[in-house]
Amino acid sequence: MNKYVLGFFAFIALSFNAFAAITIDKPAPQFTLTDSHGQEVSLSDFAGKYVVLEWTNHLCPYVQKHYQSSNMQQLQTKYTEQDVVWLSIISSAPGKQGYVDADEANQLTSERSAVPTHVLFDPSGEVGKQYAAKTTPHMYIIDPQGSLKYAGGIDSIKSADIADIAKAVNYVDTSLSALLSGETVDKPLTPPYGCSIKYAG
Amino acid sequence: MPEAGWHTYWRNPGDSGEAPRVSLSSDAPLSFGDIQWPVPQAIPVAHLVNYGYEGENLLMIPVDVPATLSTDEVSVSAELSWLVCKEDCIPGNATLQLTLPVAASSSASAAALLFEKARQQLPDDKWLSGQLEINEASVAVEIALPAEMTSTTSSQWTLFPFPSNLIQHANPQYFTVDEGVLRSVIDKSPYWAGDVESINWLLSDGRQGFYVSTALAGQAHSGDAKASALALWDILGLAGMALLGGIILNLMPCVLPVLSIKALGLQQTQESKAVKLGFIKLGYPLGVLVSFNALAVTMLALQASGEKLGWGFQMQEPSIVILLSFLFTFIALVLFDALQVGTRLAGIGSHLIAGQGFGAQFFTGVLAVIVASPCTAPFMAAAIGVALVSEPAIVLVVFNALAIGFALPLTLLVFSQRLSQFLPKPGNWMVTFKHMLAFPMLATVAWLCWVYAGQTSHQAQFGLLLALITFSFSVWLSGRLHRAVPKWICASVALACLVLPMYLTAQLPDANQPARSITDNAVPFSKQALSSLIKQEQIVLVNMTADWCITCKVNEQVAFADADVRAALSAENVHYMVGDWTNKNDSILAYLNDYQRSGVPLYVVYSGTQSKQVLPQILTPSIVIDAINQATEEIPHE
Repeated sequence: MNKYVLGFFAFIALSFNAFAAITIDKPAPQFTLTDSHGQEVSLSDFAGKYVVLEWTNHLCPYVQKHYQSSNMQQLQTKYTEQDVVWLSIISSAPGKQGYVDADEANQLTSERSAVPTHVLFDPSGEVGKQYAAKTTPHMYIIDPQGSLKYAGGIDSIKSADIADIAKAVNYVDTSLSALLSGETVDKPLTPPYGCSIKYAG
Repeated sequence: MPEAGWHTYWRNPGDSGEAPRVSLSSDAPLSFGDIQWPVPQAIPVAHLVNYGYEGENLLMIPVDVPATLSTDEVSVSAELSWLVCKEDCIPGNATLQLTLPVAASSSASAAALLFEKARQQLPDDKWLSGQLEINEASVAVEIALPAEMTSTTSSQWTLFPFPSNLIQHANPQYFTVDEGVLRSVIDKSPYWAGDVESINWLLSDGRQGFYVSTALAGQAHSGDAKASALALWDILGLAGMALLGGIILNLMPCVLPVLSIKALGLQQTQESKAVKLGFIKLGYPLGVLVSFNALAVTMLALQASGEKLGWGFQMQEPSIVILLSFLFTFIALVLFDALQVGTRLAGIGSHLIAGQGFGAQFFTGVLAVIVASPCTAPFMAAAIGVALVSEPAIVLVVFNALAIGFALPLTLLVFSQRLSQFLPKPGNWMVTFKHMLAFPMLATVAWLCWVYAGQTSHQAQFGLLLALITFSFSVWLSGRLHRAVPKWICASVALACLVLPMYLTAQLPDANQPARSITDNAVPFSKQALSSLIKQEQIVLVNMTADWCITCKVNEQVAFADADVRAALSAENVHYMVGDWTNKNDSILAYLNDYQRSGVPLYVVYSGTQSKQVLPQILTPSIVIDAINQATEEIPHE
C-alpha cells in the first residue's frame, strides 16, 4: 500500500504549559500569600466559609469597567456582609501593569471604596497559574469544604463598556446566591474575559 | 494604525481581549452584512494566545444598495468600539460619519487599493466540512482538505475556533495529513460547557484560510448505536424472509409427507370434539414456538459466552466469515444430496404427531421441530448463522418468524380442513426443489468470499476458494464411500480445509487497519493475556482505539508511527497491546470502565505488578518513550 504519512507538529506558543487543570467540585488548590497589611493569609484559614477569588489589575480597562461602575464594590459589600470571604489577588509581576506595593493597594481600596476581606500579592504568579487564572477579572468561588464551585467570567457580556453591566447576567452574583440558598450553580464554568494577567516572565 | 507590537482582535479574540464591534446605520434603506474577517494570526502574549492582527488591517462590511435608491448621496454612520493591546490594553470607541455620492456606475475611491489588499487576506469563499470529536480533555477534528491544500508542506497549520471557550488557545495543536485528510487534536478548554452539534473554525496553512464547519461525529461511544441503526423496515424485512423460510421448511422431503399424513388423519377424526377446541388446536404452533425460542436462547447464550471469551461473532472478523462460508457450502452440499444426513430419524415423525389432546399437540409441535431437523437443518443452520452475528432482539425476531412460518400450514389445516386440498402432494418434485434451494446458498458463499477479499487480499480469497472446493470434494467423496476408515479420512481433510484458512488469516496483517499495523509487534487486547504479562513483570502498553476515533488516529500517526517509539515498543520485555473498540466489545468496555472512561482513546502503561500510568489523550513520541523508560526503571531486576 503506497500510503505516506505526513506527520508534523505545529506549535502556536509553546513556551508555557505549566498551567494546572482546575476542576469544578474538586478541592481548590491551597495557597498562602501576603496581604496588603503584611499578614500571611492561607486559603485554609477560611475553612467553613465561602471564599471568592478575584484576580485584579487596576489599570486594566475591564477591571475599571467593574470598579468605576461600583459593580465590583457592590458585590463585595453584598456578600462580605453575608460572611463570604472576598480575596482580591494581584498576580502582576514587578514592573508590569497592575503591580502595586502594599501602600498603593490600600490607597486603591479606600479610593475605590472597595471592601475585599484581603488584597493579596502573587508577584511570582505561582497561585495564579495554580488556578489557571488568565484574565483580569477572573473569578472563582470556593465552598466551605474547600471545593471549587465556580470559575470564569464576572458576567455574561464580554466588553469594557459600563453600559453592558446592566444587560449582563452577573455570574458571581447568581452563583453565590444559589450556593448560599443551598442550590447548585447553574453555570459553574464560564469563559473569563478581560486583559491578560501580567505574569512574570 | 497600531504601532508595532500592538494588535487588534479576530471574531474570537482567544484567551483575552475583545473583538472589535461595528454597528452601521444610514439615512438610506441600506442593508449591512457581517464583518468579513481577514485570516488572523495566533499572537502569543506572555502565557496566553490571542487571535488577531498585528498592525494595520481592514475589516470590510458588505453593503446592499437597493437599485431604487433615488437620493444624490447617502450618509452612513458607524458606532465603533475596539480594543488594542500589546501586553496592556487600550479600549477605544468612536462614532464615524461618511457621506457617499449615489451614482449609476461605480468608480474606484482613493481607498480602492486598500480594499483590494484586504480581499486577498480573506479566507476562501468555499466552506470545508469536517467531523468533530469532543473528549474529556481534548478536542479532535478531521477535515477533508481541498486539492490545493493537500500538496502544501506548510508547517504553519492553525485552527481558529469560533467559540472562545472550546480549546486551550495557548497549547500546541497537533496536525497530521494523511491522504488528503487533515486531523488535529487540541487540548480542551476547562471552560467548555457546551453541548453543540457543530462548531465552525477557520483553518489556516499560513498563506490561505478556509472556513470549516465540523459536525459532532455520530460515533458510538457505546455499542448501542448498532442496534438502533437497524430501521424498523429492516427488521420487518428480516422477519418476512424468516416467515417465508419457515413455510418453505414444510416442503422439505421429510416434512411434507408427515404433514400430509397429519392432514389425512385430521380428516378422519373430523368429528372428534376435542379438536374443535381452539385451545387444543393451538397446541401444535405453541410447541413449535417454544422449541424455536429455546434454540434462540441457546444461540444467544452461546453468543454471550463467546463474547466473554473474547471471540467476537462479527462479520468484521475474517475467521467468522470463513466459518460462515464453509457452513453455507456444507448446506448447499446437503441440499444437493451429496451427503445423506439423518435419514433414519425422519421415519419416526409420522406416528409421533398422531395424538389428539393439547399435550399431544404440543409435543407434536416440539417433536416436529426435532424430528424434521435432518431436513430443516440446512435452513436452521442459515438462521443460526444469522443469529450468531446479530443483536439479541433480531435473533428473537428471526427465530419466531421462522417458527410461525413453520407452524402455519399445519395450524391452518387444523382450523380448516378444506385447505388440505391446497396441500401439494409429496413426490419427486420435492427433491428437485431441494436441489434448487442449494443455489441461493452458493450465492451466499460467493458474497461471503467477496467480504473476505475486502478484509484480506485477493490471494487470500483464492486460497479460501480452493479450500472450499477441496472441502466440497471431501464431503462429496465421503458421501459415496461406505467404509468407515475412508469416510473418516475424508472428514479429516474437510476439517483441515476449514481450519487451515482460519489459521492463515489470523497470521495475516489486517489490511483494514493500516495505522495499527505500523507497529509490527502489536497484539490484540485480551484481559487474560494482559494479566499474565503483568504477572510476568513485563512492560505492557495498552492502546484502546477505534476506527471512528479521530484522536486515536492522530496519536497513531504522530506517536506510534515514530521510529523511536516503534523501537521502544519492540524492546524485549515491552508488549504493545491494541484493543479495537470500533465494534461493540464488552471486554474492552469493562476495561474502559475500570479507568472511569466511557470512550477511547485510553493509553495505559503497566510496569509489571509495580505500577501503572494512564497517559494523556494527546500523545507525543516523547510522552510514550518517557512512560516506557520509567516503567523499565521500575521493573525489579533479578
